[in-house]
Amino acid sequence: MNKCTDSDIQEMLPDLLHRALADDVRLRVEEHLATCESCQEDMDVLRTVKNAAVFAPSIDVDRVVRQIPPYRTIVPATERPALPATERPARTRVVSWLVAASLVLVVAAGGSILFQSNGAPNPSSLTPRQLPTTVAKAPEAATPDRSGLAVAPKSVEPTIVAPHTHALALAADADGLSDGSLVQLMNDMDSFDALPASEADPVISVDSGDSL
Amino acid sequence: MNPSPEGRPEETDMELINRWRAGDGRAATRLVGRHSQALARFAASAGERDGIEELVQDTFVRAFASLDSFRGASTLRTWLFTIERRLMLDRRRAERRSRETVPVEESDHVSEYGALDGLIAEEAQERVRKSLDALSPTQREVFTLRVQQGLSYKEIAEVVGSTEGAARVHYHNAIKTVKEFLKDE
Repeated sequence: MNKCTDSDIQEMLPDLLHRALADDVRLRVEEHLATCESCQEDMDVLRTVKNAAVFAPSIDVDRVVRQIPPYRTIVPATERPALPATERPARTRVVSWLVAASLVLVVAAGGSILFQSNGAPNPSSLTPRQLPTTVAKAPEAATPDRSGLAVAPKSVEPTIVAPHTHALALAADADGLSDGSLVQLMNDMDSFDALPASEADPVISVDSGDSL
Repeated sequence: MNPSPEGRPEETDMELINRWRAGDGRAATRLVGRHSQALARFAASAGERDGIEELVQDTFVRAFASLDSFRGASTLRTWLFTIERRLMLDRRRAERRSRETVPVEESDHVSEYGALDGLIAEEAQERVRKSLDALSPTQREVFTLRVQQGLSYKEIAEVVGSTEGAARVHYHNAIKTVKEFLKDE
């Protein structure tokens, strides 16, 4: 048996089976079918599959309908744009992306501020050598002299201003602190983050003797 | 528009939808009655073994809840098939997850397939079921939608989320496999 090469006809065989072809097309397919063994065989297979539909339970229509909620009119359908749910205008998508990006930026900025206020090292816990310094005065830019020639700026020693330091960072232990420093330390302790207990709870082992 | 058994012209799906929106509950009954068996057959052909009635019910509940998004670009039945297919995929994913965590006992297999064997009594049905089992899940969906439901390639592509060309290829491969299987039986 020769294999049929008319793929158009082959593809229309299920439509012939479901009587979904226009009369002129149906006649053309039926004429082809009368002479093509391969398509006849295909048609037999299609009939077998269609007629031997896999078992499906009958559906209780009333039971299904009882589960359907009543229609809620939010916005009359006639006032809505005639777009399928899956087709959203590109402008809406762009706005959505912009809103999402803005939210990400806000969250990132907020997180950064929180991290700086909570996670950054407290200057009071650093030794003087580790303390960050602030340059109070930047070197002056080159300025023209009276002759109009640029003169290199004088070497200016930047003034280093040490930030506020806590008493605990400067003292080796609490004994070395003055009364004022101790009061300041006590006040600062109120703002310390909670720390986990340094000592674990004692583990009590109970031997019932069953294992012996 | 096909005439109803009483001789009156059959209402279209869109007309029934509009009637339901206007508060006519009988329109929902007509729509469910018109499409429920096709949905049940599609589920069974796609390999669903049990819970088909619940699946069809969930499909209608979901469809009616979002009926405002149906604009009639495709037929209502195609749209319903699309919803049902998504529910089937969700269900299979959930089953896979539960299989990974809960061991399936031997008795479960026996009761499930024993009942199914009893239901498929006809030899022809059994042969067709086996031949469909030989197809890949997508081939099977495309083939049954084309042969048993009579959907066009465009509608099938919509249901399975593919292209018309891919649907054609799946159909050709499927009929070749089914033909060989039925010939060998």
